Amino acid sequence: MSPLLVAEGLGRDFAARGWFTRPRPVRAVADVSLSVARGEAIGLVGESGSGKSTLGRLLLGMLAPTSGRVLVDGQDLARLLPSDLRRLRRRMQLVFQDPYSSLDPRRRVGAQIGDGIAIHRLVPAAEREARVAALLAMVGLEAAHGARYPHEFSGGQRQRIGIARALATGPDLLVADEPVSALDVSVQAQVLRLLADLRARLGLGLLFISHDLAVVRSLCDRVMVLYLGRVMEEGPAAEVLRAPHHPYTRALLSAVPSLDPQHRRQRILLAGEPPSPADPPSGCVFRTRCPWVLPACATAVPPLRPVGDGHRSACIRSDIGEAGPLVAQRLHDNTTRQHEQERAE
Amino acid sequence: MRTLRLGPVVGVAAIALVAVAVPVLPLSNPTAMDIMHRLAPPSAAHWLGQDGYGRDVLSRLLWGARSSLGVAVAAAGLACVIGTGLGLIGGYLGRGAEFLTMRSMDIVLCFPPLVLALLVITLLGPGTATLIPLLALVYLPGFVRVAYAGVLSVRNQNYVEAMRVLGAGRARIMLRTILPNIGGPILVQFSLAIAAAILLESGLSFLGLGVVPPAPSWGGMIAAARATMAQAPLLLLWPCLALSGTVLLFNALCDAVRDAVDPQRVPRRRGAARVLDALAPGLVAAGGPVLDLCGLTIEIDTPAGTVCPVRDVSLQVHSGEILAVVGESGSGKSLSGLALMGLLPPAARVAAGAAWIEGQEVLRLDEAALRRIRGRRVAMIFQDPHHSLDPVHRIGAQVAEAIRAHRPVSARAARSQAVELLRQVGISDPERRAAAFPHELSGGMLQRVMIAIGIANGPRLLIADEVTTALDVTIQAQVIALLADLRRARGMGLLLITHNLALVSEVADRIAVMYAGEIVEQGSAAALLARPLHPYTQALLRSAPGEDGSLPEAIQGTVPSPQARPAGCAFAPRCTYRRPDCETAPPPLVDAGGEHLTRCIRWYEVAASVRSAETVA
Ligand SMILES: Nc1ncnc2c1ncn2[C@@H]1O[C@H](COP(=O)(O)OP(=O)(O)OP(=O)(O)O)[C@@H](O)[C@H]1O
Ligand code: SF4
Ligand code: SF4
Ligand SMILES: [Mg+2]
Repeated sequence: MSPLLVAEGLGRDFAARGWFTRPRPVRAVADVSLSVARGEAIGLVGESGSGKSTLGRLLLGMLAPTSGRVLVDGQDLARLLPSDLRRLRRRMQLVFQDPYSSLDPRRRVGAQIGDGIAIHRLVPAAEREARVAALLAMVGLEAAHGARYPHEFSGGQRQRIGIARALATGPDLLVADEPVSALDVSVQAQVLRLLADLRARLGLGLLFISHDLAVVRSLCDRVMVLYLGRVMEEGPAAEVLRAPHHPYTRALLSAVPSLDPQHRRQRILLAGEPPSPADPPSGCVFRTRCPWVLPACATAVPPLRPVGDGHRSACIRSDIGEAGPLVAQRLHDNTTRQHEQERAE
Repeated sequence: MRTLRLGPVVGVAAIALVAVAVPVLPLSNPTAMDIMHRLAPPSAAHWLGQDGYGRDVLSRLLWGARSSLGVAVAAAGLACVIGTGLGLIGGYLGRGAEFLTMRSMDIVLCFPPLVLALLVITLLGPGTATLIPLLALVYLPGFVRVAYAGVLSVRNQNYVEAMRVLGAGRARIMLRTILPNIGGPILVQFSLAIAAAILLESGLSFLGLGVVPPAPSWGGMIAAARATMAQAPLLLLWPCLALSGTVLLFNALCDAVRDAVDPQRVPRRRGAARVLDALAPGLVAAGGPVLDLCGLTIEIDTPAGTVCPVRDVSLQVHSGEILAVVGESGSGKSLSGLALMGLLPPAARVAAGAAWIEGQEVLRLDEAALRRIRGRRVAMIFQDPHHSLDPVHRIGAQVAEAIRAHRPVSARAARSQAVELLRQVGISDPERRAAAFPHELSGGMLQRVMIAIGIANGPRLLIADEVTTALDVTIQAQVIALLADLRRARGMGLLLITHNLALVSEVADRIAVMYAGEIVEQGSAAALLARPLHPYTQALLRSAPGEDGSLPEAIQGTVPSPQARPAGCAFAPRCTYRRPDCETAPPPLVDAGGEHLTRCIRWYEVAASVRSAETVA
């Protein structure tokens, strides 16, 4: 099957404004390639600031890439006329993270769900109401809810409304940008089930953005792990989560809290925070926090290399399986100090 | 749309009706002179008397309303439409449009209104035809600025972005999405402009530059009455009353309209008085736990009546212990924490209960006594560190400030203690970081700063309300580990409020599960996680993402709102164990053995289902 959406070598810089310092570009996304097939669910995972949302907006054509290109059905988004791009929007929709600010507080939710239908004149005005009612039913709400205002709903219900609005145009691809991270755990499950169900029922391509690997695992076919805008690891979800190759993926996975004492893993507590994307470390961008770092990691950017069937990782080491995190922690302290010294000089 | 307050509407409608109907009212000719009866007092024929030329004052007053209001409304309306349009275009269409609109308004603003008016009138001559465009020009910049500022704050909202994602064009976004959301301030500006235009028009007419005499206008009437002030002071009173009354009514109307078009307007709050009785002697707890909370009940007055978002909550936290309070949004867990700090929102009040922190009862303290306790004996950390820190002060100074609020130490000593605290909460290079401003640090880092402030004065009880919810999974793990370490090192009690059971399952000693304002289950963490005795806890455990990658099981339905609590068990509408007798009376909190409490009358069935699941496995 031909993919719905293909991204090739996608990159995006933002001009950082400094008052007294020389402005340097912030590389929010660098050299990302991916493709989404119809009905496929891809999980995009990384910490805050890793470029997940920027990548989502690039793929939707909401933001112009500084390098690379996005093809939808073979058409380059950057070459489309604005009016054609607007028409294409029908096929690709976005679900926002914050269920509160993503709905217009002053309009009834039914009208907001109907916007996409009205903009693209999908059904005659007389049938619009019935269509909105059908959409509300699809996300598990009642038709009468359409006459209410957003503040009358709980977070989980608002997120359903956001999903209904995105589905109104009959999209082939849904980009869901952290759709559950603002919700209570108990409500997250409802929304995840809804997305899984819609994907199966409507054959939606799904790009699911999250910082929580546990959430991604249950929903996605493939995962892509981002750090500082670069792909660290990608592959089939089950494979990557069962046998993560890249140290960053391991750390992310070990941070997921578990209710089951038997599954409690040895936690790799990553020290510190990601470095500033305006000043990424040389070589492997993860090396300042990597418990397994080697001197060689600083010399060249490790390329994504195959480590399994459809499974690729951007780490130069293949011998990590045994090295315990404790040993690694000591190693790490040394190199952090080293990096900070380098920077101070 | 909510109900509109009636008073101002009726008032303005009455004035407008009079202004419109003046020509058909049985009034004497406002310009017909009667020199014989100049300055005559009120009479049956002339209710408000006659002016210096013997003209009927009432008639002139009402005709004056017609001209004043006509000019003011027309001018303000013109300014509103053009100004809002320019502001929208300037704010939404980008740099070029922004430059043109805003700079041209700056030029208008360079002239004081009166000077501008005199200039234009000198050039074009007085009269209504000059006044309307002139006043519109004077009030135009106000509308442009208000609309522009509104657009700037709205245009980056997600719901505007959502319209772009849907493929909406610019015109549609501006008119359908942005305009309604900036309507409130524009309406306010409209009221101000009408009131100001009435005043400016009257001023100009007073000077003889507005409405040309002998045509009636309030300003002209005031000017004429001034000459005869000594003989007939009432003549001055009527137009002044009309003028100020109208201006006030317009302001009131626009406030009412603004409130009515806001779908999420907060109802006016009634002052909440403390209604707690004094404690009976002998009830005083001494020694024992750091926190002993008994029967806390909180009430909130809403337009639909009094609701009870927290009822009969009892908790204990011992020193060095972590008690996790777990519940969905709206379950009342934050309100419970806030009540302990004496920080309830104005609408809420403690209706019953007592809370001892280290043996001191805190629900009955006055504000001054509470301030001495807050931060010192009990401290609270909130979800969003960005809103809790002052953006213009360096973080080191903010930590030092917290120290000095309770202890008489020198500024120097406080600073070095602050650096030491920052080190204790795991901030590397604390000397340098102390000089940073909040915006220079990430969310996880800021939350560490908040923790440093929280522990600055060695509180015996630390309340952490959803402190990791806004953070990444990796940082969540760090912060929880930090809190657990601090509590061990300092022997404080930690009350960890969260919606995420998995997050606290590894560190909590005991867990209390809240649902719809009540504690539904409480027990040691190990027992509660292994053998939940309440269907809600069981459902919560199942709704966490599983280890095997299966989709989590959702709990059907939603938490009942405090207005619509079921009569019996609050969880009954969502409960799979429900039987008819669950819905007759609220179940009591019972001890199922080993200090494991549950508010379910079928807890033994729940326990049995866990056991049978284990035997199957
Ligand atoms: N100022 C207020 N006016 C009216 N109702 C309020 C107010 N504050 C809280 N409530 C209501 O009290 C109930 C409990 O609120 P509370 O914030 O304590 O819940 P919570 O469990 O902490 O939720 P969250 O996780 O969203 O913070 C909710 O139903 C809420 O609507
Ligand atoms: S390349 Fe080196 S620093 Fe990067 S993840 Fe692998 S071991 Fe760590
Ligand atoms: S009392 Fe009845 S309805 Fe309530 S939780 Fe127990 S079984 Fe369910
Ligand atoms: Mg809360």
